[in-house]
Amino acid sequence: MNAIDKQLQLQPNRRMSYIMTIFILSILFVWSVSTIHFENVSLNGTKIAKNILVGLLNPDWSLIFNVSTGGIPYLLIETMAIAFLGTIVGALLAIPLAFLSASNIMPKPIAFVVRLLLIIIRTIPAIVYGLMFIRVTGPGPFAGVLTMSLTSIGMLSKLYVDVIEDLDKSVLESMEAIGCTLMEKIRFGIWPQLTALLLSIVIYRFDMNLRDATVLGLVGAGGIGAPLIFAMNAYKWSEVGAILLGLILLILVVEFVSNRIRTKLVRG
Amino acid sequence: MIEFREVEKRYPNGFLALNQINLQIEQAEFVAIIGLSGAGKSTLLRCINKMHDITGGSLSVDSVDVQQLKGKGIRKLRRNIGMIFQSFNLVTRVSVLKNVLVSFVPNMPFWRKMLGIFTKEEKLKALMALDQVGILDKAYVRVDQLSGGQQQRVALARTLAQNPSIILADEPVASLDPVTAKQVMEDFKRINQEFNMTIIINIHHVELALAYATRVIGVRSGEIVFDGRACEVDEEILSYIYNNSEGRGANNHAMEAAIPEKNGIA
Amino acid sequence: MQWKLLSQKKMVLPNDKEVLEKRSIMPLMLLILLLLTFLSIRITGFSIEVIVNRISQFFVIIQQMIPPNWTYLSKLWQPLFDTIKMSLFGSVLGAICALPISMLAATNITKNRWITMSCKFILSLLRTLPTLIVALIATFIFGLGTMAGTIAIFLFTIAYVGKLLYEQIESVDMKAYEAMCSMGLTTIQAFRYAIMPQILPNYLSTSLFCFEGNVRYASILGYVGAGGIGLLLNESLGWRSYANVGMILLMLVCTVFIIETTSEYLRKKLM
Repeated sequence: MNAIDKQLQLQPNRRMSYIMTIFILSILFVWSVSTIHFENVSLNGTKIAKNILVGLLNPDWSLIFNVSTGGIPYLLIETMAIAFLGTIVGALLAIPLAFLSASNIMPKPIAFVVRLLLIIIRTIPAIVYGLMFIRVTGPGPFAGVLTMSLTSIGMLSKLYVDVIEDLDKSVLESMEAIGCTLMEKIRFGIWPQLTALLLSIVIYRFDMNLRDATVLGLVGAGGIGAPLIFAMNAYKWSEVGAILLGLILLILVVEFVSNRIRTKLVRG
Repeated sequence: MIEFREVEKRYPNGFLALNQINLQIEQAEFVAIIGLSGAGKSTLLRCINKMHDITGGSLSVDSVDVQQLKGKGIRKLRRNIGMIFQSFNLVTRVSVLKNVLVSFVPNMPFWRKMLGIFTKEEKLKALMALDQVGILDKAYVRVDQLSGGQQQRVALARTLAQNPSIILADEPVASLDPVTAKQVMEDFKRINQEFNMTIIINIHHVELALAYATRVIGVRSGEIVFDGRACEVDEEILSYIYNNSEGRGANNHAMEAAIPEKNGIA
Repeated sequence: MQWKLLSQKKMVLPNDKEVLEKRSIMPLMLLILLLLTFLSIRITGFSIEVIVNRISQFFVIIQQMIPPNWTYLSKLWQPLFDTIKMSLFGSVLGAICALPISMLAATNITKNRWITMSCKFILSLLRTLPTLIVALIATFIFGLGTMAGTIAIFLFTIAYVGKLLYEQIESVDMKAYEAMCSMGLTTIQAFRYAIMPQILPNYLSTSLFCFEGNVRYASILGYVGAGGIGLLLNESLGWRSYANVGMILLMLVCTVFIIETTSEYLRKKLM
């Protein structure tokens, strides 16, 4: 046996773990194939697909340029307002929760309980909150705002904690040497570091909330979702096309703008 | 005038960082403290503005007993003593000018402090300080876009704006390249001569210390083993200061571990 | 940019040097923010008064959810598995399909600008539409049931994984790829041996992360009739049997927690 053969046998034997992984994945995959079924796909389906495409290409222009409260511009503004206000309220509520869930500030048991609570809040679908808040405020965009603020809290407070833990604390030492009080240290040492990063996080969440806000209309919590589902149920495809076009445009524009602002904030 | 009388500093873990320090530094001196890392240089410096508390003896700055000061008194003392750090310790996300303006913060009325509004007079003072260290043109640039040498100058300007009578510098050139280090040392020398400020500097580079300082203090194992003019230092004295005494190495780690505790927010 | 338009104030130092002061945009931004907040309050009818007076209603519902209706549990397994299957199938298939699409969308692999542009456009278009709305449309085309949900998840996964993947491919080290191309390998072969090893851990991790999120999304897809546990959620909410809703939510939280913990563990191992 020469050196080359020896080296060949030294090849790390990872084949077993590869095979196992692929085996488990395939079993899971095969198990889940049952979700695919074509029996419900009737001729009707292809016809509707065609109709939606036609609707997208021939949107109801009168709806797009309708400036009354039933028109698309107003509905989009309402959706944005829900997302915006929801983000702001959520961003404010997340601040105390972030401090409560930071295990290096709070006692361990409290931090743990708050974290658990945040996971629960995060997991419950927005639609459920929407329905619950409708009982509080009645149907309309107000319920949407409350829903958005509640769903934002989980992610925001988690990201806040990450930022707070990453702070550069060396500047505090030099401010101590200048003779600053604790409050001054927070205002001029910590605050300037936080603002840009926190703002960037909040803008990111606004982007997400805007997408979620479009869905809230399905349960009657305001925004553009409700007219969309009405139009679909009534098979008014040109209206559907108009709404979808407006929605796509809005989300693309907001995403572009928010990305630009965030790079500007973080890189300076 | 800074006066150490039998100063002793013992860390909570029992490590004796300073032992029987007797020292007098007159106004407008340029003092370099040299010695091995862990010898107690940094502790010696930080006792002067009470960043560290001493555990024995007495220490006075301009006839004020530092040991007696509390809260407001400490802050008033520190207003008069500037401090420069190895890692610059700037807020990197904001502009150079804003970093310099921080030195006015303790003297501002409450509402301006909260809103972060500075008067034109304060801005002019800050700009003058920047001009003195030669980076006036960078006033509105964000600090994270500057080089290390420029950042250390921002820190120096911040200290100058404070208009102190003493500047303490803890390894100010250790993270700079040799050329920039020289420039920063030049700045120190100029400030020392122009404004009659006392400058006390901790430094690793012996050549720089000898070239710029007027007085050199050698620290070894928490004790002063040399104190004299820079021109008196020769090979023999240096090897005495830097002579690595046995059994010291283990203790160095204990002390380095103790320092961060003191540097927290509070 | 925009703040160059704002007038700059000239500061004259005592030694006659001049500095142009940049105006802070902070006050302007704050003003805009306040204005937008005010407008949003007007549009949405937000009122603290209503919250204070009627928030108790919210907790009334939560009280009704606790304790959850345990007998309902036996009916939940099938729809819960449907939800997991939907997200699993959609995620795996989506992640696989995302690979060739992201290859086509990466400017350093595909030289034809039109192909990369249109692929990128399709990916961002797919990402725009919320999953629930895609599912809604899918129920019209594929009928009610898990098929529609799977399609919605599949499309979202392609868009999400595809975008992150092409960004990754574009930032990859190209030297090995060029070397292999010069050895006479085809584009796909060179991709397989030069670029795959660099992006694989990240690709798998992104896919896992997407799967995590998909389980969450899949749980509500039933609301529009796209199968899974959302169907029961919709029913129970409609009948106001909140004890059942509580049970469903408890199940969901547990499932999502288990899947997230497992996937987080796997992702850490990949990195």
